[in-house]
Amino acid sequence: MTALRTIRTVCPRNCYCTCGMLVTLDEHGRIVRIEGDPANPATGGHVCLKGLSYARRVGYADRLLTPMRRRKGQAGFHPITWDDALGEITERLTRVRATHGPSSVLYYEGSGSHGVLGGLSMAFWRQFGGCTTTYGDLCWPAGLEATRLTYGANLHNHPRLTRDSRFILIWGHNPAETNVHQWRLILDAQERGATVAVIDPRSTDTTDAADIHVQPRPGTDAALALGLARIIVDAGLHDTAFLVEHAAGFEQYRARLADYPVERVADITGLNPAAIRDLALAYARTRPALLIAGFGLQRHHRAGQTMRAVALLPAVTGNVGATGGGWQYANLASHCLRELPLPPEPAGGRSIPVSQVARHLETLTDPPIRAAWIERGNPGSQNPAAPRVRAALSALDLVIVVDQFMTPTAACADMVLPAKTLFEEEDLVTAYWHPYLQWRAKILEPPSHVKPETEIWRLLCERFGYDTTWFPTDRVAYLRQLLPAGRESALEALMDRPLDLSEHGDIAFADRHFPTPSGKVQFASDEAAELWGVGAVPEYAPLDEGHASALAHRLPLQLLSCKTRDRIHSQFGNLDWVREVERPHVLDINPQDAEARGIPDGARVTVWNDRGRIELAARVTPGIRPGVVHVLEGWSHEGDPDVNALTGEAVTDMNHGATFYECLVEVERV
Amino acid sequence: MSGAGFLVDLHRCVGCGSCVLACRIENGRTEEPVWRRVVPLNLRRHPGGPTYFLSVACHHCDEPACLRGCPSRAYERRADGIIVHHEDCCLGCRYCEMTCPFGAPKYDEQRGVVSKCHLCADRLDQGLAPACVTACPTEALQFQRPGVAAGGDARAGVPGFVDPAGCRPNIRFTPPRGERRVVLFAAIEEAIRR
Repeated sequence: MTALRTIRTVCPRNCYCTCGMLVTLDEHGRIVRIEGDPANPATGGHVCLKGLSYARRVGYADRLLTPMRRRKGQAGFHPITWDDALGEITERLTRVRATHGPSSVLYYEGSGSHGVLGGLSMAFWRQFGGCTTTYGDLCWPAGLEATRLTYGANLHNHPRLTRDSRFILIWGHNPAETNVHQWRLILDAQERGATVAVIDPRSTDTTDAADIHVQPRPGTDAALALGLARIIVDAGLHDTAFLVEHAAGFEQYRARLADYPVERVADITGLNPAAIRDLALAYARTRPALLIAGFGLQRHHRAGQTMRAVALLPAVTGNVGATGGGWQYANLASHCLRELPLPPEPAGGRSIPVSQVARHLETLTDPPIRAAWIERGNPGSQNPAAPRVRAALSALDLVIVVDQFMTPTAACADMVLPAKTLFEEEDLVTAYWHPYLQWRAKILEPPSHVKPETEIWRLLCERFGYDTTWFPTDRVAYLRQLLPAGRESALEALMDRPLDLSEHGDIAFADRHFPTPSGKVQFASDEAAELWGVGAVPEYAPLDEGHASALAHRLPLQLLSCKTRDRIHSQFGNLDWVREVERPHVLDINPQDAEARGIPDGARVTVWNDRGRIELAARVTPGIRPGVVHVLEGWSHEGDPDVNALTGEAVTDMNHGATFYECLVEVERV
Repeated sequence: MSGAGFLVDLHRCVGCGSCVLACRIENGRTEEPVWRRVVPLNLRRHPGGPTYFLSVACHHCDEPACLRGCPSRAYERRADGIIVHHEDCCLGCRYCEMTCPFGAPKYDEQRGVVSKCHLCADRLDQGLAPACVTACPTEALQFQRPGVAAGGDARAGVPGFVDPAGCRPNIRFTPPRGERRVVLFAAIEEAIRR
């Protein structure tokens, strides 16, 4: 009988679920079992295929296990020692700084592995004299800001209260594929009699199981939200008692609804007026009703105003502060940790919007970017205008990428440093769907030539003669001091189970206190107007690159590049175990659009616009709305479409997000 | 249904493949052919049929074709109905691959023998569910105890799954729910009956 030991940890991927995991090792330190941690009440004893795939990923043949370098202009990397790697990095970074100044170095960190220790990179860069960093986020910031402006905080009910819902409206979201533990709870509610309605231009595993599915034109959700509200208010189904007490600016909002009669909304959204009316009445008449919004409906430049319009519906109907109801976008209850102790920020640092890396690499002056350090990210695949990111990186004097695998970004590097896995260093991991802070245990030693990023930064500080006392000698003690004041002793409990260290309770806004300027739900927000230059009351405005734009005459199809269950962006798809069960990366196109272009099912097609072109197979599917096409994002292995060759670098109206789904294309048969 | 087997809720299954990976890990099948697979039906979402997934492995049939077709008695039926394959008796003749209509026995080129799902018999003996069942994030895949009839709306055959050789497989399916899928499902079932 072999001696097995089971260790509790957490999956740190950029994913709603942030599953508690139990990993069982044999006496040789090999992973023999991965299961969900039943102590996490949200993920309930389950992980998903990605969590299970760590058993393959950690020791996968393609994993980078030693520093690698490449001579400029030569193909292929060769292994070098850490001593040589650190020596060369020190010399070349020093040279770049001497010639162009510290801001000529771009430090880019992605969301590839969550944990607080990643922030220690700044202990090096601040002592280096600063660098150019990125601000904003590729994914969700507009919705976060819209929620903050409306309700005062990004909180929502505990996931398990989903089961109490009688009506679940899922908007621009696909939990069956991207938040599978939420989906289990939704299915439970449905079995208990709840109606599930989904708003999505595509058909997905979520829409297949739904009772109601409406498919508006992408980018018209603000009009739909205001149109639904108009119907609800006209029918007298708004919650007057709630609104009198807890709404600020409702009369201004109500006046705005006059602009959104159902006929106009039907015209904008491309929906049947009866379908809009039925949805509005069903949502407003059933309590408690839960509105779950995803990131999909805010990946365009009108994102913030759209999300404000949608986020107000639960307040219109009084579905706030009760079990089974609410507005669910992001729950930041676990984001309660203290700031890392870091050296003071040097003057003259610089920051660029993360959705515009290509443009800034190409055009920044005074100083231009001459070197880049990239970790936990793959901007050469995942950022807008990805081919331009790759070309610009390849033209720099020095590019260093830290990763576990040779990504399209790493392929542009001069030097690639091997990254640890989630099992190879302790950390604290926050979540954005459930309220739990979780302990990421160190359960394996890194392979002999792999160093955690914290150690790489510490060694570089040593080489540069910087203060290394910013780095932990004892990671457990270090992480303990990051817990909220007075809760330091919770660390041992955290090793034992996930903890909700917030004071918010399971029902968000149960006390009906909203930390907004008025203390009420902001139907009108002067703050939105002041900060972002948008209307104080949300409104619909057409996308610059949408179905009604001039460009649509030439490029008539709206491209969505969504996510599915097999990957977190470009992670996991390189593994054979995942490829065996993954979804095909094809172009989904409606039969109407396919027929007009002479495209049979399975044909190779070119998808193009003024920014680029990709080639892939078409899947002719009536599941997608006419006028809309779809490709799964996430370049993980050879042959995956480089979908960000097509996407643009515009930013959202609020909070510096990317606009991946504001992308017109044309499709033709190869 | 009399022996131990699986119950798949086609409404809850999202076809994610967690069951496939869990099977790989539990049984140490790192690069070998895997015993479980997920068959997506109608990913193209043709309006004439519903979209759903069949997660299938060995069905531990009441009339197992593998056992009948094996010239070396490598297959054995346990008292609980689980059909186990004894690798040490396997000739590698691959007859079972030919006789099983469900493709459950997998031939391992490296070792020259066949293997297949044993319903995690060791785990069952310890009171645990099969690894694939434990891993299912939507609780769509369930273990059926021997002698216990699957309740509710469970049925033996669904569109995309038939028993062509009279093996009496121990697998049951709960059909997709929701108005649209029920109508489509019923139409296909009716067409198959005709």
